[in-house]
Amino acid sequence: MFEDIAPAKIGLEEWSRQFACVSDDLIRRYTYYGNNEWGIYLSPPATFMVYGARELKKLKYDNSLAALRLWGFTFNESERLFRARQNGMRVIATMGDLGTVPVIVMAFPSCIPFYPDCTWWTPFFNESTVLLDKASELGVPEASCFVRSSLAAFYKRAYFPKPEALFASTGASCDDYSALMQMVQDLGHDLTWLEIPYRRQRHEEDDPEEFCGTEQGYQYAARFDNYLANEYRRVWDKMRALTGNGDTAELKRSIRKANRLRRLVAKIKKTAGQASVAPFPALEMMVVEFGNLYGYGDIDEWTDIVEMVHNTVSERAAKGTGVLGPDAVPIAWITPTADPLLLNVAENLGARIVETEYVINQAHVEIDENIDPFLALARSFMNASLIGSTSERVRRIRDSVNQGRIKGVIISNMLGCSHCAMETRLIEEKLKDLPVLSIDVPAPMGITEQLRTRISAFMETLR
Amino acid sequence: MQLIGYTCSYIPVELLALTGFRPYRLLHGDVDSSKRGEKFVRVDACPMVKSNLDHIFRNQNDFAALVGSTGCDMSRRMLDVAAENTRIPVLVFNNPRTDNRTIFHDEIDWLTQRLERLSRRQFNPASIQNEVTKWESMRVELRTIDERRAANPSQVSTASFHEVMTAYCQGAFDRDVSICRERADRPRVYLLGSAITYESNAILRLIEDHLRIVGDFNCGLSRALDIRIQEPTLAGIEETYYGQPPCVFKRPDRRFIDHVRDETRRLNCTGVVAWTLDYCDAYEFELRKIERTIDLPVLRIRSDFSLQGSSQLRTRIEAFVEMLCSKT
Repeated sequence: MFEDIAPAKIGLEEWSRQFACVSDDLIRRYTYYGNNEWGIYLSPPATFMVYGARELKKLKYDNSLAALRLWGFTFNESERLFRARQNGMRVIATMGDLGTVPVIVMAFPSCIPFYPDCTWWTPFFNESTVLLDKASELGVPEASCFVRSSLAAFYKRAYFPKPEALFASTGASCDDYSALMQMVQDLGHDLTWLEIPYRRQRHEEDDPEEFCGTEQGYQYAARFDNYLANEYRRVWDKMRALTGNGDTAELKRSIRKANRLRRLVAKIKKTAGQASVAPFPALEMMVVEFGNLYGYGDIDEWTDIVEMVHNTVSERAAKGTGVLGPDAVPIAWITPTADPLLLNVAENLGARIVETEYVINQAHVEIDENIDPFLALARSFMNASLIGSTSERVRRIRDSVNQGRIKGVIISNMLGCSHCAMETRLIEEKLKDLPVLSIDVPAPMGITEQLRTRISAFMETLR
Repeated sequence: MQLIGYTCSYIPVELLALTGFRPYRLLHGDVDSSKRGEKFVRVDACPMVKSNLDHIFRNQNDFAALVGSTGCDMSRRMLDVAAENTRIPVLVFNNPRTDNRTIFHDEIDWLTQRLERLSRRQFNPASIQNEVTKWESMRVELRTIDERRAANPSQVSTASFHEVMTAYCQGAFDRDVSICRERADRPRVYLLGSAITYESNAILRLIEDHLRIVGDFNCGLSRALDIRIQEPTLAGIEETYYGQPPCVFKRPDRRFIDHVRDETRRLNCTGVVAWTLDYCDAYEFELRKIERTIDLPVLRIRSDFSLQGSSQLRTRIEAFVEMLCSKT
């Protein structure tokens, strides 16, 4: 029987050796879609390197069973989506909103949401420019977000099955992804466009009665709730037409499930951030955070995994054990990195990431369970990271600075990405009483000694 | 007179003018100011946005307010940067990217209220009618110049047309908009892409040394003339601005593509010049599709406003002309 040993970050070979202790019973216990026949996903991370994720050999992983489940489940997603299609389930692409539309999709039986957007990690995990090169061939400029790989993935039809419906959110969002979704539509997909409104801050001259606020303190014109709620009703109608089903009680149930996951992740983040020693690595924490978007298409199993992560993190925090040294310097990381290796690099150089702003704030807030579900979803989305001002976006980081919880900030940018280009200087200004390092995420296999030296020098200044 | 800066073709200039401030479209762009703008944003921001930020910052006392829209992400965020670095009041208009008339109309109502408060003026039907009439008569005059530009053979160069449109974009009604005849039998091309800035006239002249631009779909040129307000009321303004030929940012982009294709045919163009600024995602992503749809040769010019490569550009334009001539 496998038992967690002293927490550590280990490499692929060590994980493979450790995996020998995992019993067959344990392997059979964890399945996706609740299917015992073909739904097994527990395997050593090296399996996925063999499948093509070559960067895995450079990464270090948490050595817990929870982490093993986490990696097995997330790397299994492509297989899972094709399995879903083979077994008559409906695969639904949700694009651009990062966290809300899947809650609606999951309310329909046998409907599996996924984010093609998340293909942006693939060129880095695979150490391959195949998808980026194909995107360029299709007409995407090279100076644009790495999410352009998702267009190539649609074109190649090898990374996920052709979705039966696509919901594309645009509006107060980044330009390149909006343009990219248009190109996906041009490939012949039946795409439903949704409008994301801009979260305009309340001005002193505004009538307060026309405004409402989120739990996180963002204020916006109340009518935006209705716009968004109507957009979500369109998603509902489209899904109902597609499936022949549609029970709002199921939507409420889906919201409750999403909230349970969000609460768990919030607890993990809090416990991990406050622990004397980092109980879980930054890379796995990022995977946990992004799971809030859609539970990687099987929210029940993913929530179970996150529950296990929570137990592991809590136990380690209580014991004062963890995966980094006690002298690791607490920092915040702003904007997710497309190259996961950067998080490892930062930790190896002495950083401990205790606060993040991964442009998915909307997926971290609880959805009101006591009001009309569409309105509740709309209100939760109004907390989104990228639909308002930069000062709103970094408010939480600013609060952590004020509380003395972090000593520095790393911002990872992408060349040509509209919000990176426009926000970085402002963020630096907003956090100017702290050292801030702004780096560009290089193309796959592009992390150079120069970049490592920059991060290393930055960490030196923080000590 | 103080200025009210604005950034987007969907912002009704008539409403801005009702404040008593002079509407001034933020269309600055040259190498030096773009470089200076990097004080506020990263190097990979749109060069026009960088120039505009520099202009706003250096002339902040001239502006009573800035009105932006959500049309383009960098433009929207430019207003955020301006708000953080100046004391100029900033209003951001929520211009929907999808076909969503309700949001647009509600936003015009909101903008009207905010402009009334800003200027401490009440916009009444008579003042609205007066302002619409004033701007519409300016547009009528400019359309006659545009028609001469579009004539076959073309009678007015786009470089000259740009000068008169600059007066419109800067709200300078007192400027002389007369224009001299410059008949040309050069190959007729259509211009589209990023905005043509006030400082870009030299590039237009360079292009028109060999070609004649007879139509365009660029901010800073004829896009403003697509506004034809029939009913001089607030509802008429809303309807007209909403229904204008759609910007490249609108989703889906079918109507934009169709409009460009129809215009190139109507104007008997034999080629297209696509002018894009560095990091202008919207056009960079669309160019391949535009090429496919309009089925005309396209000369792509990518710019950061620098004229350092002008000799090379001249050679490319000459080669393009040779290709167009060999096809006819």
